[in-house]
Amino acid sequence: MTSDDGPAPPLRTLAEHVAPALTSGAGFLRAPFHPATRRAVAALAVGWVWHLTAGLVLWILVLVSAGLVPALGIGVPALAFWLGIARRFGTAERARVARQTGVRVPAPRPAPAPHRPGVWSRLWASVRDDRAWATALYAFLGMLTSSLFFGAVTALAAAAVAAVIFTFVGRDTALAGWPGLPWPATVVGALAGAVVLVWAAAALAQYGSYLMVRLAGALLGPSATELARARAAAAERETRVAEAAAHTARERAVVLTESRTAAISAADNERRRIERDLHDGAQQRLVALGVELGVARRLADKDPEHAVAALELAHREIKETLAELRDLVRGIHPAVLSDRGLDAALSALAGRSPVPVRVEVSGDLTPASPAAQAAAYFVVAEALTNVAKHAAADLVRVHASLVPDDHPARLRVAVSDDGRGGAELSPGSGLAGLRGRVAALDGTFELDSPPGAGTRLTVEVPCAS
Amino acid sequence: MRIVIAEDSVLLLDGLTRLLVAEGHEVTGYGTADQLVLALSTPDAELPDLLVTDVRMPPSHTDEGLRAAVHLRSLHPRLPVLVLSQYVEQSYASELFARGARGLGYVLKDRVADVDEFLDAVARVSGGGTVVDPEVVTQIIARHPGSDLDVLTRREREVLALMAEGRSNAAIADRLVVGLAAVEKHVTNILTKLGLPPAADDHRRVLAVLRWLDQNGSR
Repeated sequence: MTSDDGPAPPLRTLAEHVAPALTSGAGFLRAPFHPATRRAVAALAVGWVWHLTAGLVLWILVLVSAGLVPALGIGVPALAFWLGIARRFGTAERARVARQTGVRVPAPRPAPAPHRPGVWSRLWASVRDDRAWATALYAFLGMLTSSLFFGAVTALAAAAVAAVIFTFVGRDTALAGWPGLPWPATVVGALAGAVVLVWAAAALAQYGSYLMVRLAGALLGPSATELARARAAAAERETRVAEAAAHTARERAVVLTESRTAAISAADNERRRIERDLHDGAQQRLVALGVELGVARRLADKDPEHAVAALELAHREIKETLAELRDLVRGIHPAVLSDRGLDAALSALAGRSPVPVRVEVSGDLTPASPAAQAAAYFVVAEALTNVAKHAAADLVRVHASLVPDDHPARLRVAVSDDGRGGAELSPGSGLAGLRGRVAALDGTFELDSPPGAGTRLTVEVPCAS
Repeated sequence: MRIVIAEDSVLLLDGLTRLLVAEGHEVTGYGTADQLVLALSTPDAELPDLLVTDVRMPPSHTDEGLRAAVHLRSLHPRLPVLVLSQYVEQSYASELFARGARGLGYVLKDRVADVDEFLDAVARVSGGGTVVDPEVVTQIIARHPGSDLDVLTRREREVLALMAEGRSNAAIADRLVVGLAAVEKHVTNILTKLGLPPAADDHRRVLAVLRWLDQNGSR
């Protein structure tokens, strides 16, 4: 890795993975038996053989070709060719390092494209490929490093083996008396030395492997500028994602604000409508009723006939006022909806509609909340009123169902008629108010009314709303 | 008496007409406020003896009737107008009485059901008197948190309220079941205590009392 604050894997993890003997006491104690040691020795052995052959050959040929560059006709194409080979060598090396140590070095960018078309341009681009040169440098340094470490590790291991063999066969040799110690002490010393040598060999193997991996990371992977660019690109991507999320959140806020405003104005319009209905209806009727009764009382003595007529009028007034109040109360909230549920309320609506209505309810609607059911009810009520007023339809179909596949589950009502179509959502109309109410519940409102082809109104509201 | 009614509720218009006709009056015209303003705005328009108007009417269903009354009164200051309103509001009353109180009435629509009261209001307004709904008077007096009117005795306050409704001394005496002389004494006391000039006719007295209540009312 070329940079200490580089992306994953972090160096500590890399060192812990490749050379645990150097990063923790436990790792050191286990060093000769650690799988990392086995991997390290194998990597060093294979690396040594491979670097000595392929690396050395490559390096020599690259150097020779570079020396021939002044003779452009031969040197530059040769150099370009060998640098191309160096890249392939790099690819093979990355694969070997990954397989033997488990450390994956990312591939560098491909060789730079030539600035202009033409053979020379292409050759020159290959020669200027810094990653190929880095690979060549890796071949050279890898050759030295793997030779050094593999040699040293082999020597230490061989010395340990020699020390052990010595304890078996060394008693009669001249060396036996050399330290001036009695033979048993020499045996103990030799065995202790062997142990130290084994541990040193294992630790050294791990360290060598670690250095090789670092070298591979620095020279076979992407260059520092490339990494910086990749980091910048990643950061930019993150920023874009965050910006998109913020944008979505802002849009959602706008939608929520709009639906809240719509809900408030829908409720406000509804109150106004009720006030208007009461003012124009029941209140006027009651005043008129008062007048009739007042007249009746005044006339009771002198003109009983007219007084009775006034009383009859008043009686009729009262009955009409009651009917009007009943309608009004039902318009505020139908009792049947709270008592018997949407299914029964829709049937009641159908029964009052002057146009024949076929109500179809699929399944149990009770999971839908009272607010959702009320919204559905008023949508159907308003739709039926509109059908009766404008559509000139022969039949209306009302279909109510739960859409459980959606999460969260939704209550859907669809009202379709075979009338003249062409219905529109004009601002301030009953349907527009209902759309506000539906939007406030986070529902959807779809009006499809092509001229001459009937009207279909589909509303969905979340059951939990 | 020739009466014109501005009322959009056919039902009520019908009831009022029959009531007034039964009392021997003549309903010479009816319609919405806008229509009546049009009909009565010409200089040579034949004015009725009384205009009875509702407040809320088409087209905007707000205060058409009130605006029509104010407008017609500015054209014809002597045209008696009785405004019937579903809701009495003191601010509406101030607007209506800003230019005088002679032959002007402002009562809650519900009072119509009290036929005798209504016919009394019709008679008083067409005769040049003033009728202010007790509800308005209550609203105005309610804005006085007591201390202002503490100078008055309880009976004097009752008399003040009836004065503010536009009632004559005789009517007040009738209502309170006291003698006329007693009422006259109360009235003199009230006017003196509130610092109002003694007024000869009732409507000027009403105006003075209303204005006093209005100006001294704490908001």
